Amino acid sequence: MEISLIPEVIFNIGSFPVTNTVLMTAFIAILIIIGAWLVKKRISLIPKGFQNIIEIVLETLLNLVDSVTQDRKQAKKFFPLVATIFIFVILSNWIELIPGLGTIGVEQEHHGETMLAPFIRSNSADLNVTLAIALISVSAAQLAGVTALGFKKYLGKFFVNPFKKPYFIGSFVGGLELISEFAKIISFSFRLFGNIFAGEVLLTVMLMLVPYIIPLPFLFLEIFVGFIQALVFAMLTLVFMKMATAEVAH
Amino acid sequence: MELLSNLGINGKLLLAQIVNFFILLYILKRFAYKPILKVLDDRKEKIEKGLQDAEKAKNKLGEMEEKEKKILLTARKEAQKIVDSAEEIAKKNKEEIIIESKSQAEKILSDTEKKIEEEKNKMLGEVKSEMAELVSLATEKVIGEKMDEEKDREIIEQAISHKP
Repeated sequence: MEISLIPEVIFNIGSFPVTNTVLMTAFIAILIIIGAWLVKKRISLIPKGFQNIIEIVLETLLNLVDSVTQDRKQAKKFFPLVATIFIFVILSNWIELIPGLGTIGVEQEHHGETMLAPFIRSNSADLNVTLAIALISVSAAQLAGVTALGFKKYLGKFFVNPFKKPYFIGSFVGGLELISEFAKIISFSFRLFGNIFAGEVLLTVMLMLVPYIIPLPFLFLEIFVGFIQALVFAMLTLVFMKMATAEVAH
Repeated sequence: MELLSNLGINGKLLLAQIVNFFILLYILKRFAYKPILKVLDDRKEKIEKGLQDAEKAKNKLGEMEEKEKKILLTARKEAQKIVDSAEEIAKKNKEEIIIESKSQAEKILSDTEKKIEEEKNKMLGEVKSEMAELVSLATEKVIGEKMDEEKDREIIEQAISHKP
């Protein structure tokens, strides 16, 4: 049993390494596209079946966004990004629940050792994915701040003149804010990566130790963790966006 | 950079994931969020409108019922009035007819009486003249001699008119 921090490369297209997480991302993307297409095709004023589920999810999310922003217009502006992050992350997290995790794959030679490169690996257990979403999330927050306050005023949050009222304290707090923006990227990406990678390792190890019954509670735990992490990611994105649009209050 | 590659961060993969996410964002926005939110809004509007309409219809129904009651009441009153006036007219008509028929009958009666009297008088006259002739003829035969015709007539007429 090998546990790798880095997603395994299945094959290469030119110089582009196709890892198992790339395959899973493509799988999720196709799933979401088919789902969206079905929604668009079957939508009606009187909901039934599939549309009901989608509506419940989206309406709950919209109400959540609404309750944070306290502004319907802003909620509608933030909603697409927040909802997409939630849907993408929760599906990514739940990939680890698919049977065959860490067991089905291709044998590969690495430094003279044969290693298993499994096909199924949760997206979120790849730093590239989590970092990508974290970058988008934090950039979106900056963009929201700039569009809401204007470029100069938004920069004023981070760079405070040390010769004005709270003097050096203000400048220091501004510097901290600036650092915290970068820290957000790291905390976003490593929180999700850590949780889901740990979950995968846990499930794989449990499956190796006791193949029957015992992994079940851990599977349920991972369903829960996957949901919570997706919600946390989406909510933090929303809160950071909302905070970025808030007026400066030193 | 050693750290990044140890963590498996690869520029190409990162970029691919970012692009992928934006594609998903666009597709979901276009095909799921917009139509679903629109449907939700539409439905909300429709339900609100439906409730309002129901309330309106209820109010209108109440109004209509009241109006109906009022109309019925006035109609009943009107009908009563018509019946009353009709009865009155009928009563009046009846009296008039009775009076008229009475007077008509009286008129007919008096007319008839008058006619009978006239006829009687006429007949009497005729009888008288015929009688006179007869009597004169009979007397002629009895006496056998013709009297002065004029004198004779005078006498007979006197005799007849002096009839008891």
